[in-house]
Amino acid sequence: MKAFLILLLFLKLTLCFSQTEISGMVTDRKGNPLQGANVYLENTYDGATTDEHGKFEFSTLSTGLQSIMVSFIAYESYKLESKVEEMNNLEIRLFEDVNSLDAVSLVAGSFSAGENSRVSVLKPLDVVTTAGVAGDFIGALQTLPGTQRVGEDGRLFVRGGTAEETQIFIDGLRVFQPYTASAANLPSRGRYSPFLFDGITFSTGAYSAEYGQALSSVLTLNTINEPVQDQTDISIMTVGGGIGHTKKWDSSSVSLNLTYINLKPYQELIPNNEGYNFQKPYESVAGETVYRRQFQNGLFKFYTAIEHTNFELFQPDENLKDTNLLDLGNTNLYSNASYHGHLGNGWQIMPGLSLSYSKNNIEIDETNIVDNEKAAHLKLKVSKKYNNRLKFYSGLEYLATDFKEDYTEDMVNIQSKFNNNIAAGFLESDINFGKKFALKPGLRFSYLQASESFILSPRLAMAWKVADHSQFSAAYGDFHQNGLPEYLKFRNDIAPEKASHYLLNYQFTRPGYTFRTEVYYKEYRDLIKFSNTEDFVYSDFSNSGEGYAKGIDLFYRDNKSIENLEYWFSYSYIDSKRDYRDFPEKATPNFVATHSASLVTKYWIEDLKSQLGFSYNYASGRPFEDPNTTGFLNEKTPDYHNLSFNIAYLISQQKILYFSVSNILGRDNIFGYQYSNTPGNDGTFSSRAIRQAADRFFFVGFFWTISTNKNTNQLDNL
Amino acid sequence: MKLIYTLLLVTLGMGLNAQNSYQIGMNKAFELWGKGDSAEAANLFERIGSAEKNNWLPYYYAAQLQIIGSFDMADPVLKERKLEKAQEILDQAKQYSEKDNAEVMVLQALLYTSYITLDPSVYGMKLSGTINEIYRKALELAPENPRVIFSKAEWDMGSARFFGEDPGKYCPEIEHSLELFSNFKPEAEFFPDWGQERAKMILANNCKK
Repeated sequence: MKAFLILLLFLKLTLCFSQTEISGMVTDRKGNPLQGANVYLENTYDGATTDEHGKFEFSTLSTGLQSIMVSFIAYESYKLESKVEEMNNLEIRLFEDVNSLDAVSLVAGSFSAGENSRVSVLKPLDVVTTAGVAGDFIGALQTLPGTQRVGEDGRLFVRGGTAEETQIFIDGLRVFQPYTASAANLPSRGRYSPFLFDGITFSTGAYSAEYGQALSSVLTLNTINEPVQDQTDISIMTVGGGIGHTKKWDSSSVSLNLTYINLKPYQELIPNNEGYNFQKPYESVAGETVYRRQFQNGLFKFYTAIEHTNFELFQPDENLKDTNLLDLGNTNLYSNASYHGHLGNGWQIMPGLSLSYSKNNIEIDETNIVDNEKAAHLKLKVSKKYNNRLKFYSGLEYLATDFKEDYTEDMVNIQSKFNNNIAAGFLESDINFGKKFALKPGLRFSYLQASESFILSPRLAMAWKVADHSQFSAAYGDFHQNGLPEYLKFRNDIAPEKASHYLLNYQFTRPGYTFRTEVYYKEYRDLIKFSNTEDFVYSDFSNSGEGYAKGIDLFYRDNKSIENLEYWFSYSYIDSKRDYRDFPEKATPNFVATHSASLVTKYWIEDLKSQLGFSYNYASGRPFEDPNTTGFLNEKTPDYHNLSFNIAYLISQQKILYFSVSNILGRDNIFGYQYSNTPGNDGTFSSRAIRQAADRFFFVGFFWTISTNKNTNQLDNL
Repeated sequence: MKLIYTLLLVTLGMGLNAQNSYQIGMNKAFELWGKGDSAEAANLFERIGSAEKNNWLPYYYAAQLQIIGSFDMADPVLKERKLEKAQEILDQAKQYSEKDNAEVMVLQALLYTSYITLDPSVYGMKLSGTINEIYRKALELAPENPRVIFSKAEWDMGSARFFGEDPGKYCPEIEHSLELFSNFKPEAEFFPDWGQERAKMILANNCKK
């Protein structure tokens, strides 16, 4: 027994003394030494930090098969299993972590506003603190290059495309009615509150295969995953008010928002221009709610918004030499449920469903139009991450639209309807070749039930980092979109329209500065044409239209050169012509301005606790058709100028007083003309200019946030 | 009998041995930290963490070193990298500690504070609410922990200064934390026991004029 004990002790001692030396060198892929890397044997304390030559050396008592680990900031961790005795003069090369901040990124065509300062062009707050925007996030996006400012419409027009060519997605699911209801020549706004989102990506072309049914652009919004605290938000504005409350539990939370807008008091104080007289000014009641629940391996979100809008407007009509009374009531319901689950081993699953119901009741004098649209988007997306250099995405989706219209005039009732169902799927992959080169090939396939067509749309994006701060990216894609409800309700089987995008982008970013420029060429094919504009029922429809858009966009943002001043400047040049609808020939459509520019400035004044902002927007004249002249669409409106100002004053951490005025100089911007349908006695067509509803718009708001950790008492009183 | 005795001795010896190496390792890391070699110290803490498994303390200190180091970094790209690394390590500490650990929460709040210093206009709005909430919860969990009270007071002072309010109104809280610091006994060996010196410094610089 004693012998055994001695043997044991001896063994232990020898073990103690048989140390093995481990040594080697850590470099990057090019062989440059890396200093400060942590090299160690897994599950032991034995290890060392590399010196300035990338060399390391340590000893261990471990024997046999062991794992040596190397970890270093901005590089992928390295693991090698081998016999300890063989761990001599190791040469270890680390891969750069392609997720790290200075890696190349696929930016061609897209702008993002989010948390990550590296790729974001806009910051989350920019959306609400841009002068002239008054809380409409669509307005903030219109200061970016590639967009067209169409003052009488308000929606997003991108690179020679109509507003309908841009689709909006919330948490990956389609929004069917993204804008507030409005009348002709009265700008509409984005329907959703910018505060609900913490990530916005605006793509002006050649976007991912995940998105379809948009010829020009997609705007993707992500709702906040987890609110930070219990809080109540109160807003009191010259145009209405709102109240919101967020309640947070351990793994779930609910936010509720109610907004009431009524323009009556404002318009009594500051009347609109002639031609925009309301019998009953714009009034809307809106409610939004978000429920979120965190599971062990996933997150479920449920978003619902309901809104009712109504107004009565005396619309001038050049043909009547008088006004007609438009009475509009719109009810909109939108629900969106999504889940994001991690299945382990790099697999993720994202099922989702959005449902929309919209009803418009429009009365124009004796005519009554009732539109009903029900729509749904069902989607399943799956992704697999093999490693940081290879990711794979795929998905299936189904879009269903059911549209009905009742048109009643002089006791005659016409009903029209259509169903539009689309099944689609996509495959896409992210491939990174080190930190310098990235590739994203994708393919989208869709089946359109009405026209019985099967379509393939390839997409490809790539990026190449040429120097520390600069990179080139390029992208190509084919895009398809069904015709508008206005046409489909007469002819269900019209084939989809098509666009191809080719982009080349250069971007220079240094902390605090962003410069980017993009040239693009866009080709339109199969655009819908029709012959009879008086009555669509008797019209011929065909896909014989075509067109193009080409141009260059510039963007420069500087947050650094002058202390407390942030500004961005954007400029777009576009040349676009198309032959579509009832155009007699190829022409530049009336929503395209050859030159557009914006300058947005924000200046923080420490002593006043205030942010001052000026925005200046310019657009060259847009074409309009004057029947008194020969040719088609070859007259141009005067240039558009708008200088706006805003100030946000932080009364305290939780109270903000906000004031803004748009078009300070009161410029009388003319957006186009309405001509009479028939010439007068003198043989000329009379006309009426389409102007701004008001020269200036003033806005005062008080925003108050009450959170539990600051003002418990206030909360109890509510 | 003898066999059992022997076995007992051997197992005991091995047990002692293991504990010793943990202590030796931790003490070595603190010694490196004390000498100002924080990179080496952070690496060693990480190594201890990976060898120990299920012990949040080595990761806690490795994360703390990264966070402290990040505050003074001028290059925003490097700073963001360091903060990402810090978050990675802190997540490990969270994984191995009990669910609501006020000490870990303080580090998380400090990490977010460093993000705000990186770019207040990007991170300020999003993270300041989160930080308030973390401190609120930490205070609820550990109302007598001096680090919670002191770190919260320092954060509140910074916010007050930003909004043009008097940071002096948080001085009593710092004084309160100092009282608690002087009586503070760490739960066990190597448990967090820092902050007193900094609290004294903040008090001297901001409160007694």
